[in-house]
Amino acid sequence: MNPTLSELEARATDARNKAAFGGDAHIVCDNLVRIYKTEGVEVVALQGLDLVIDKGELVAIVGASGSGKSTLLNVLSGLDVPTAGVARVGGMDLLSMTPRDRLRYRRSVVGFIWQQTARNLLPYLNARENVELPMKLAGATRKGRAMELLELLGVASCATRKVSDMSGGEQQRVAIAVAIANSPQLVLADEPTGELDSETSEQVFAALRTANRELGVTVVIVTHDPLVSEQVDRTVGIRDGRTSSETLRRESAEGQIIAEEYAVLDRVGRLQLPRDFMSALNMERRVRLELESDHIGVWPSREEPSSD
Amino acid sequence: MRFPLPVRAHAGTLAVLVALTAVACLLVAGLPRATQASFDEALRRALTTAPAVQTDLTVASEPVEDLRERAQFESLYRHWQHSVPAALRPLITPDGHMSAKTSRTPVTGTGGGTYINLGWLSDADRRVDWVQGRMPGPTSTTRHEGETIPLIEVGVVDEAVREMGLGVGQIKMLGESDYVAVKIVGIFKAKNPGDRYWSHDLDILHVSKQRPPGGMDEELHLTTLMSDAGLTALSGAARHLTYRWVLPLDGRAASALDVPDLDAAVAELGRLVKVQEVSNNPHRLDTGLPKLLDDFSAALAAAQTVLYLALGGLLTVALGVIVLGVRLLTDRMEHTFALARARGGSLRQVAGAGAAMTALAVAPAALAGYALSFLVPGPVLAVVHVGPAVVVVTAVAFAAVRVSVAHRTPLHERRDDVADARPSVRRVTLEVLVVGLALVGAYLLRARGLSQDPLLLFVPVALTLAAALITLRCYPYPLRLLVRLAARGRAAVPFLGLTRAARARSASGLPVLVLLPALAVSVFATMISNEIASTQVRASWQQVGAPIKVTSVGEIPASVIEKVRATDGVEQVVMAQTGQVQLADAPEYAAAIAVDVAQWRRLIAGTPISVPPLSGGTSALVSPALKGRGAFEIGWLSRPRVTPQGVIDSVPGFWSSGKFLVMPMTVLPRPQANTLLIKGDVSRAELARLVPAATVDSQKRALAAIREDPLTGIVRSTLVVVTVALGLYALVAVVLSLLVGAAERARAVSFLRTLGLSDRQARRLTVLEVLPMVLVTALVGLGLGLGLPIALGPGVDLSAYAGDLQVSGYSPDLVMAGVLAGGLAVAAALGAYAHTALGRHRDLGAVLRVGDQS
Repeated sequence: MNPTLSELEARATDARNKAAFGGDAHIVCDNLVRIYKTEGVEVVALQGLDLVIDKGELVAIVGASGSGKSTLLNVLSGLDVPTAGVARVGGMDLLSMTPRDRLRYRRSVVGFIWQQTARNLLPYLNARENVELPMKLAGATRKGRAMELLELLGVASCATRKVSDMSGGEQQRVAIAVAIANSPQLVLADEPTGELDSETSEQVFAALRTANRELGVTVVIVTHDPLVSEQVDRTVGIRDGRTSSETLRRESAEGQIIAEEYAVLDRVGRLQLPRDFMSALNMERRVRLELESDHIGVWPSREEPSSD
Repeated sequence: MRFPLPVRAHAGTLAVLVALTAVACLLVAGLPRATQASFDEALRRALTTAPAVQTDLTVASEPVEDLRERAQFESLYRHWQHSVPAALRPLITPDGHMSAKTSRTPVTGTGGGTYINLGWLSDADRRVDWVQGRMPGPTSTTRHEGETIPLIEVGVVDEAVREMGLGVGQIKMLGESDYVAVKIVGIFKAKNPGDRYWSHDLDILHVSKQRPPGGMDEELHLTTLMSDAGLTALSGAARHLTYRWVLPLDGRAASALDVPDLDAAVAELGRLVKVQEVSNNPHRLDTGLPKLLDDFSAALAAAQTVLYLALGGLLTVALGVIVLGVRLLTDRMEHTFALARARGGSLRQVAGAGAAMTALAVAPAALAGYALSFLVPGPVLAVVHVGPAVVVVTAVAFAAVRVSVAHRTPLHERRDDVADARPSVRRVTLEVLVVGLALVGAYLLRARGLSQDPLLLFVPVALTLAAALITLRCYPYPLRLLVRLAARGRAAVPFLGLTRAARARSASGLPVLVLLPALAVSVFATMISNEIASTQVRASWQQVGAPIKVTSVGEIPASVIEKVRATDGVEQVVMAQTGQVQLADAPEYAAAIAVDVAQWRRLIAGTPISVPPLSGGTSALVSPALKGRGAFEIGWLSRPRVTPQGVIDSVPGFWSSGKFLVMPMTVLPRPQANTLLIKGDVSRAELARLVPAATVDSQKRALAAIREDPLTGIVRSTLVVVTVALGLYALVAVVLSLLVGAAERARAVSFLRTLGLSDRQARRLTVLEVLPMVLVTALVGLGLGLGLPIALGPGVDLSAYAGDLQVSGYSPDLVMAGVLAGGLAVAAALGAYAHTALGRHRDLGAVLRVGDQS
């Protein structure tokens, strides 16, 4: 039976609603592609990455070196422009922004922290002046704001100290204060604890959590350290420029923290199996799927691997 | 914008910029002032040493209608004063004078042998002292051949008493048809005979002896001085009478910049004098000023060309080095800018901060250099203000542009380690265009008649730029060949060093663009300056003809010559006799010298001058004007017959134009000499004492006189200053380029040291990395500097600075140029060596981590 016009219209509306992947989430990446071109060499850093992060979430993005996580962060921070796909933060389309929009975006929507402690702060300014710098650049200095933030993050004692007089952990906490100086909606951190020992890392994560809880800022941390997942609500794994897995941390009824790892299913139904699962069962090229009542079973192919 | 400027953090780099800018501004503002001051000095000297009759403006008139009253002269004098155009007026002094003089007024009955002219000077009473008799008084009348003729009282100069036998009380009858009688009532003497003033009225001060064309007997001429009353008896109808109004020119107030205006003003006055109808008499302007000014302009133009070439080169290099300094500053602030940009700094804010930081160093420094330049004596030219402004604007603009370009996108991770960026078509096209234009310009400059034109200034700049571009494009290619060779060797350091040199980013282009013109212009300046120096020496020899020349009016007795020979320090004495000789029987005269040519040749062996050998008792060397006559007879004491043996363009120390001949001493009936050519170390005063009534000249004195000329002095000293400054700038450029690449190099070296590179190897690596660029640039700069004079040589007439001898055939002074280029290369190598040696104790981890920006 042929569908009526109204049915077709309804289907189209449905499809459009479906296409609005992620709905009104804070960060939406849909089929994001970033290709670096240098003379004669093309590097595909992101190859169709999907990611949805809600407002106020504290998310870690983990992946091996070269998996594309830093590229994703640069795209989200407005420092880099993706080649194709959709990237939206707070409803702003990062692909179609003009340089002026991009500047406003960096000034008021996003703050970020690099891995190298030395890179985050200007060595010839003290902590307070460093925190005031983004406010000055945006032309909106609020008196006392810098000290408030430093106090909030537990580094008020460093206010008048130069970078060289602070420990690595203090530097990174001041860097967090710098990142949230202009009250951004989103803080991005690229390996913020990469250069720190575990005890200092704890302090930095605590500071990030403080910012997340007290100020309601969405925090995205990029790291190659899988243990970070213990510190955040959600961990997104990236492999080869695509999101591959998610680990959710929740409190069980007994008060225990339970971390469960999920594989990511994309909109067209693609699923990335963990590499160790595949090698354990010697899965290659194709697998057999069977739909059961409450799950889908995945079996290695029945065929014997060819002898040659 | 409130951007914190890290002044203290970059104090060192800022200090370098401050020093570079201050020195550049001082040079750019000060050198033109100094050169202009000496141009002015040269003009003043030219105007004040020339006879007043040449420089002063004289309105002359051969009257149709006689002026009989002093007042008539004075009113016209005021009129001429008012007619002087504005440009000339400041140079005209009010103490001018008027004269009325007859010429060729014969004394009756002397058959044209003696002439006593009638003269009146408006200011005679101030100029002469009456030493005998009294001042001339009113005129009266007397009878002559039945007619009543005027009797004018006159005074004559004391010289006329001796030379013409005149005396107080004598009455002379003048004229051959229209008679007038003069009575000598007084003898006078000039109050100051050396005053330039007298050049207008030498006929009053001296008795002149003239030989009429074709005549054998000398005529005596004298102009007498009469009172105002005498004017009534002077008439243009009866005599050759000339009225003159002299407007004296004070050369001390002249400025070289005004020369074109002065020229135009003189022409304008000449026109006015001719066309204004102030009386029935025609007037004209007599002055040698235009010729003086033109000669000066010609010399000035050559000086300006050379100096502007040198100063232009200096400015370019100074700007290049400052830009290099700005680059160092912005590189050092890279982290600040990148962070600010990432944290929400707009491009304008970041570029503004870069510009502000640069301006903070450059503006006060430029002001200081500008202020210091006022200590340099000289007029304030436009370039004095413009030069420092150009420096400041260039530095600040470069900072703004560079920061803007580098931070256009907030994330700037350059991956130029991955692959060499291929040059864009646009850039290659532009470069080909520049090279093409330079070659065409050079061709045009040589092909068309060289004169003062902008092409002369454009071509060197274009050639330098073209050479720099070609160097930048091509220098990696031979290096890559070397790299291949090095790759086969077992040692790692040459391979690594050369590879790094060959892969150097285009950042190394800036030092090339600075070094190349620095070397080229300094080699050029050295060559020009050496060439002027050697031509000056040649000119001084040409002027004197021997180390020492003693010239006497009369014959020098043999006993005196013996005494000279016996004087301490005298090594050799050659006798020579000069004189005017009559050629054949015709009334034609030539200058001649009789000398033992072989001895003379020995005397001047090893000097820049020479005389061709002469053999045979009666053979002679003749000037081109006497060429092709065959053997001819001359009248000189006896009448020998001489046979021309060769043609000689000039006789060093004697003549360089006209008719002259060189003969052996044997043509004279007996050896005699009025000239001695002396070699040895003996003072001029000593010789002057031995040979009284002789003038003693030496090659050293002539050379000093040529060098003393202010234009010559300034050309040479400016060239020296420019050469030294450029050499220093080249060194600074090398040091700065080392510093610019320091962080990156330190990272690479630190990395290699973790792999086992020793300190010594690290130093060799740095030297190998830096040296190829410096060597290639030094060689190209050297070639360009040597080529420039050949390309421009004909366009720059330097004869004015070399005793009017043409400066030609620039012989490349390879030693000097090689020293410059070699010194630079050695300095660069030492700098690189020291740089690495100093950085040896750096903490490897820190270097590697701080540098790691990925």
